[in-house]
Amino acid sequence: MPETPEQSAAGRFDTVLIANRGEIAVRIQRACRELGLKTIAICSEADREAPYGKTADSFLCIGPSSAAKSYLNQDAILLAAHLAGAGAIHPGYGFLSENAAFADAVEKAGLIFIGPTTSSIATMGDKISAKRAMMAAGVPCVPGPDAALPDDPATIERIALEIGYPVIIKAAGGGGGRGMRVVPKADVLHEAIVLTREEARKAFGSPSLYMEKFLQHPRHIEIQVVCDDHGNAVWLGHRDCSMQRRHQKVVEEAPAPGIAPDIIQSVGLACVQACLQIGYRGVGTFEFLYEDGAFYFIEMNTRLQVEHPVTEMTSGVDIVQAQIRAAQGHVLNLNQGDVTCEGHSFECRINAEDPETFLPSAGVVTHLTLPVGPGIRVDTHIHAGYKVSPYYDSLIAKLIVHAPTRAEAMARMREALAGTEVEGISTNIPFLRALFEDGAFARGETDIHYLEQWLKLRRAA
Amino acid sequence: MSAIDFSDPATIALLTEALMAAGVDGLEISRPDGQLRIVVAGKDGARISPPEATPHAPGLAPGSASVVVKAPMAGRFHVEHPASAAPQNLPRSVSEADIVGFVGVGHILLPLRASRSGVLTRLLAERGAPVGFGDPLFEIELQS
Repeated sequence: MPETPEQSAAGRFDTVLIANRGEIAVRIQRACRELGLKTIAICSEADREAPYGKTADSFLCIGPSSAAKSYLNQDAILLAAHLAGAGAIHPGYGFLSENAAFADAVEKAGLIFIGPTTSSIATMGDKISAKRAMMAAGVPCVPGPDAALPDDPATIERIALEIGYPVIIKAAGGGGGRGMRVVPKADVLHEAIVLTREEARKAFGSPSLYMEKFLQHPRHIEIQVVCDDHGNAVWLGHRDCSMQRRHQKVVEEAPAPGIAPDIIQSVGLACVQACLQIGYRGVGTFEFLYEDGAFYFIEMNTRLQVEHPVTEMTSGVDIVQAQIRAAQGHVLNLNQGDVTCEGHSFECRINAEDPETFLPSAGVVTHLTLPVGPGIRVDTHIHAGYKVSPYYDSLIAKLIVHAPTRAEAMARMREALAGTEVEGISTNIPFLRALFEDGAFARGETDIHYLEQWLKLRRAA
Repeated sequence: MSAIDFSDPATIALLTEALMAAGVDGLEISRPDGQLRIVVAGKDGARISPPEATPHAPGLAPGSASVVVKAPMAGRFHVEHPASAAPQNLPRSVSEADIVGFVGVGHILLPLRASRSGVLTRLLAERGAPVGFGDPLFEIELQS
């Protein structure tokens, strides 16, 4: 009798190497343990004392502090996986998580990459092919051609005129706010093209650019999906991540306030449709700009996201476990009809940085108090005595709250922030406390430029 | 906001150093009073800090005339070549080019050279144990 998917899934792997650091390494390790899987933690020299090293089944230093020589060193990670007997590699977010070549190398080494297939990463990693795939699946996109810009300046000028200024030029291989430029009018178009092309070539290895309409006051709304290898896909809800500083998300919430359920419903279903069409596996996020009641697809993140907890709080689904189960080959254990959205959730990213200048702050955490209470969750890797190193991003903790309504969730976050004390280094906590007292934020529906303007006014005051 | 003067050469040097340390090859800062772009040249171009000591080159242990040979990568620590039957006894004299052990993963075996002449006095890791990058493996007492 042939094996059922569930029977074959059980044997796919029992040990996971977590190719990441910080809070997400802790989060993934916890999910693995709950699923009965053994874990291998890795570190660079700067992270030798990481607390998750002590709780993993094995812990290996794989290289020097520089990320390029450790967390981005594909060979070192694969050798460590081989040495420690890993059956699968979880890339977390950042680092190698959206690197199609790494996913390919992992699979070629006979291991499972906990993420989508190499071809999905490649398709969605290229902005142009992603847009084409989305349009084919009926997902609404930003006005602009679904093809790379030609070299001929006159043709580029004509395309810009057809779209209508302001336009935005983006590197096809870019992301995370890098490799893009807004062009307000025709006379600076040529210079912007030259600069962005040079950056794209240097930073992303491809000079390919594309052009879109630049929306003036959009919100950033995203849809979380989870899919299995057997043709099942669901969307777990939507998040508002409009509170951004320099394209970096600072506060996220679920659900996004003030969006009509029937609109979001149709966008969510289109995302599910797109997943099925491209044969997507695991978890992923479709990012949209939302302006004047309309959604415009911008990119897909083919990985777990920093802000996944807010959707876990409102949907009750453990997204990391769902991702690992999908990689094991299990059949998705929920239908779209089972997915609900209960209450409201916020996440604050606590960063080791100056609350005024936002310059990173490294050093030893001399004292730490974390908030406790109903509806409060903290995802972190730090403890009193922990040394924050200057080598990596400054995220030291995520404060997540859940409450029946948005107003109650805001009040709960104010309480949680008041109960958080980090001494020895600077953090953005004072800034987050002030933000949660802001009237416009409390009313909801602030756009992606709101935080920058709020900071400007605050500095001027 | 900040009082950092981006036209100050010292600031630019500091930023360049930070970029290189982080493995970043470019930076662009836009402010109302101007723009700063730093592009770090190719691999063998401008270098500010000296290259890191190669991991298997021993560093002096503080306060003693001995050096420690560290693991150049994560792997299993072998004192003898797996195909060799002859055990290596301690202490023994070694010279710079001598292979004093191996770090292996599967079929890959990386030889460890003494890098300094002296007396190999101590093993700092267990034979056959998995070791991480930078873990101390041997101590070599330098000859005066």
